[in-house]
Amino acid sequence: MTAPPLQAKDYKSELKPIWCPGCGDFGVLQGLYRALASIGRPPHEVAFISGIGCSSRIPGYTTAYGFNTVHGRSLPIAQGVKLSNPELLVVVAGGDGDGFSIGGGHVPHAVRRNMDLTYLVMDNQVYGLTKGQLSPTSPKGLETVTSPLGSLEDPINPLLYMLAYGCGFVAQATPADMPGMAALIEDAIRYPGFSFVNIQSPCVTFGEEDQQLKAHKTKLKPLESLGHDPTDQLAAMDLARAYGTELYTGVFYKNPKPPPTYEALVKLRQAEQAKKARPRDRVLDAYLQK
Amino acid sequence: MRACSGHLPETKLLVRRLICVPVHPLHRASVRMLDDLILGMAGAGGDGVVSAGESLLNAASSEGYHALMTKSFGSQIRGGESSCRVRLSTKKVLNPGGALDVMVALNWEDFFKFGAELPLSVNTVLIYEEKAGPPPDTLKARGVIPKEMVSVPINELTKKSAGSDKAKTSVVLGLLSGWFGIPSAGIERGLQKKFGSKGEGLLEANQKALATGIEYAKGHPLAAPHELARPEASAGSKLLCDGNDMCAAGALFAGVKFFGGYPITPSTEVMQTLSKEIWKYGGAVLQCEDEIAGIGSAVGASFAGRKSMTATSGPGMDLKTEILGLATIAELPLVILNVQRGGPSTGLPTKAEQSDLLQAAFSGHGDVLRPVLAPTDVEDTFRITVEAFNVAEEFQTPVIILSDQEIAQRKEAVDQIDTSRFSLVERKVPTEAELAEKPYARFALTESGISPISHPGLKGGTYLAAGIEHNEKGDPTSGGVMHAKMNDKRFRKLEPLKKRADLFEQHGNPQAPLGLIAWGSTAGVAREAFLLAKKQGHDVKLLVPYLLNPVAEAVYQGFFESLKHGLLVELSHQGQLYRLLRMYTDVPKGLRSLCRSGANPFQPTELVTRLIELRGLPS
Amino acid sequence: MTKQPVQQAPSVNFEAMTLKDAIDLAVLIEEEARDRYEELAAQLILHRTPAAANFFTKMVRIEELHRSQLLEQRRKQFGDQPVTVRREMIFDVEAPDYDEARMNMTQRQALEVALRSEQKAHKFFVSVLANVQNPEVRRLFEELCDEELEHQQLVKAEMAKLPPPGPHDHVDVGDGPAPQ
Repeated sequence: MTAPPLQAKDYKSELKPIWCPGCGDFGVLQGLYRALASIGRPPHEVAFISGIGCSSRIPGYTTAYGFNTVHGRSLPIAQGVKLSNPELLVVVAGGDGDGFSIGGGHVPHAVRRNMDLTYLVMDNQVYGLTKGQLSPTSPKGLETVTSPLGSLEDPINPLLYMLAYGCGFVAQATPADMPGMAALIEDAIRYPGFSFVNIQSPCVTFGEEDQQLKAHKTKLKPLESLGHDPTDQLAAMDLARAYGTELYTGVFYKNPKPPPTYEALVKLRQAEQAKKARPRDRVLDAYLQK
Repeated sequence: MRACSGHLPETKLLVRRLICVPVHPLHRASVRMLDDLILGMAGAGGDGVVSAGESLLNAASSEGYHALMTKSFGSQIRGGESSCRVRLSTKKVLNPGGALDVMVALNWEDFFKFGAELPLSVNTVLIYEEKAGPPPDTLKARGVIPKEMVSVPINELTKKSAGSDKAKTSVVLGLLSGWFGIPSAGIERGLQKKFGSKGEGLLEANQKALATGIEYAKGHPLAAPHELARPEASAGSKLLCDGNDMCAAGALFAGVKFFGGYPITPSTEVMQTLSKEIWKYGGAVLQCEDEIAGIGSAVGASFAGRKSMTATSGPGMDLKTEILGLATIAELPLVILNVQRGGPSTGLPTKAEQSDLLQAAFSGHGDVLRPVLAPTDVEDTFRITVEAFNVAEEFQTPVIILSDQEIAQRKEAVDQIDTSRFSLVERKVPTEAELAEKPYARFALTESGISPISHPGLKGGTYLAAGIEHNEKGDPTSGGVMHAKMNDKRFRKLEPLKKRADLFEQHGNPQAPLGLIAWGSTAGVAREAFLLAKKQGHDVKLLVPYLLNPVAEAVYQGFFESLKHGLLVELSHQGQLYRLLRMYTDVPKGLRSLCRSGANPFQPTELVTRLIELRGLPS
Repeated sequence: MTKQPVQQAPSVNFEAMTLKDAIDLAVLIEEEARDRYEELAAQLILHRTPAAANFFTKMVRIEELHRSQLLEQRRKQFGDQPVTVRREMIFDVEAPDYDEARMNMTQRQALEVALRSEQKAHKFFVSVLANVQNPEVRRLFEELCDEELEHQQLVKAEMAKLPPPGPHDHVDVGDGPAPQ
């Protein structure tokens, strides 16, 4: 007898999210459940790795294995998990501060190693958990408690960064378009390599009015409707430059010929090297004086 | 693994002795037979004195000698001053030794850059390059003038024999062989290996240079001739490696499946070795973008159910601190090697110091009890590494191996290790049947404090690991009651460690009024000092802890019971073990801290003198 | 899947839909709404907004009632024939959007959320009916469409029973969020 197909609710844990009512992350979580159900891997074969921040609470709200780690370090930790058990479906989740500020140094390296990980950033342009400070994606001039006179810095552009780092799958979504977002998450997970989805997930408490889902609904522009070819990396970069002014959703870039993943190369190396292994209790023979 | 390899049969322990016996009639003076010879060499990096030291080490160990080599460099990447010390002996070598028996200076400037590392005594035979001229006044200023100083036209001999100056150190090796009876066959084999493939004629040139050196020595006998005794019948081939090699081998033996790290002196060799070897055993090495990612990926691997480790030194340890805390609260097994160097900050990257103990025990915020194990020499680095994995797996905790630059990078010829006496511990994983029976509670408050740990892929075992405090199931909590219970669990589970007598080495009369305590690389000096003091008729005992944290109060109290006077010897400004002991247990007044900053190694004789001096003081 | 911005993007083929699938879909729509109200109620309970939470809990019961009525109809007509439509095929048809919830929202605001959701559902069925050919399915969707209108009237009646909106309903006098 085959088990009935998994449903979104099979991935939902009993833990109640602590997010503020109206938070964009609720929608992201729902979209995630659905994407997982559609993919159909049982929860115990899925590992969610996150850092610190409102959105990094996500692993606890799923029935999968979760690791809610420390601020900014989810990517290296996830790589250790994936390399140790490549069969797992590993999803990394976190906020814009976690990923592009404190953890920013890890991102290019995670991308260039190209493990089959999916990185979901819930980008809300503000630090929510610590009460409304400037974040790396906050627009220039934004007044926050740490920039009461307006920020003097330009925000980073996560989409352009990821494309420049050579990421094989770069997309943007918003929970204002639930079906589109769920489909993108699913598509990202199915991409055989490192995939990135920047999810514009508004902060209902500290976010700007024009960043809320209601505003998203009116301003989002699906890349598909613009006739964008997602295999055109340069066109993707050109479009990505509009981050912060335009809300494009959909796939910016998807490598039509994904290269082998890091873990696949590791597997090959392990198989090739296994022949040369001494018995483990003879490892010291390597140092035997001839 | 419960066997104590730290036990050293005292009969085999080395006491330096000089025996005067009349030998060969050709020799005018009587030859001093040595069963222990300490050589030093210094020169410009381009001279290759370190590589000559390695040749000597190879040669001697292949002849059955016990041998040990340490090296020291200037801060230049290449071509700065470099030096090495080689200690050859017919018995087990306990430490790099004190004053040199022989010193070869290829030029004075480079020699003088190494102070305490190349100490001379009146009995040192000082050999120097003739062209460098007579010893400058700097030598006098150091207060010790060797009785015998020999100038040799090394450059000239090299040019004449080899036709270039690329074989200088082969002449030196010839001189040492000729003057001190170091068998030349091994040296020749070494040359073969080193130069055999390095270009036409180079091997022949070096062979000629070696022969010239030997010949020169024979033609110019020393005023006080020495000869190294032949080693006892060899117990088979020896292992020639350094502490970092031993750590990598220990990790492989223990079943390490993942290493995440970042290059840092003086620990990098562990990553280098594993980068070559680990694949063979189904594992992986990830050279990360930084130290944090190094420990992060290792924690991830442990979460995924694999034995994993990282290695670093002081500055890297600082960066890893936050994730160490994560591994503690998420109760994930992890081994962290810290090869100590002088600190703080960049400090002395190439010199040993024992100043990271307090960091190892206490770094990071919150209430943490973190096991810290310290090897004392190259050989026991293997055992301590295996032990670290066992402790990590059994108690689901990060464990720090506190090595230091000297142990890690000194090359040593040691006897083979019988690995069958070690057993390996695996973490307690719930079975699928157990998981099916009732809901899984990852952090169940068991009596022992140890709760079975599941890992991704295991059906029925899903849970949330987190840096945030959790309840038994793993769900986040900020309640004080549960936090207290979990803290108590994390401390309680480590209690059995304190009863591990095999993680301590004790020698001498248990009732002795005099005692020495030392850990890490200083223990080797203390072992020799202990034997020396005993030989001088003092009633003395020795304690060498391998387990530094948690503090095993009972072991120390047992040792302190009869103690009137004692020294706790450490290579740090503060004397960090002394301070740690005073924090956890009553330390008798008679136990003094003998400590000083790194790169100023202790000498066995010095320890004995300081210990005897104590007797006049109140206890 | 299509990636159109329209909320009720039909990912099912309504033209060729059988009555069984249509009923099953309707069940799922009620189920989704029920679950969403449950979630919103839980959010508001956690955030001490009891009046709105109570109303959402009431909506949970109502949606569940609708669902069980549809299920009963399905059982009568199709027994235990396997279900072939999936919850993943629909998104927020009758379920209120996540961003409708607010801490400290009033009962009136909660009723407004329900009203908007019923309007949304009505719009959905109207748009779907444009494509449906099968007369049985048409009848079902027309019924459901009418029901949504009825529900709107019920919600409006409920709202009328409430005291008129106060001048400070939109003022949040609560403590700010706790930094973590």
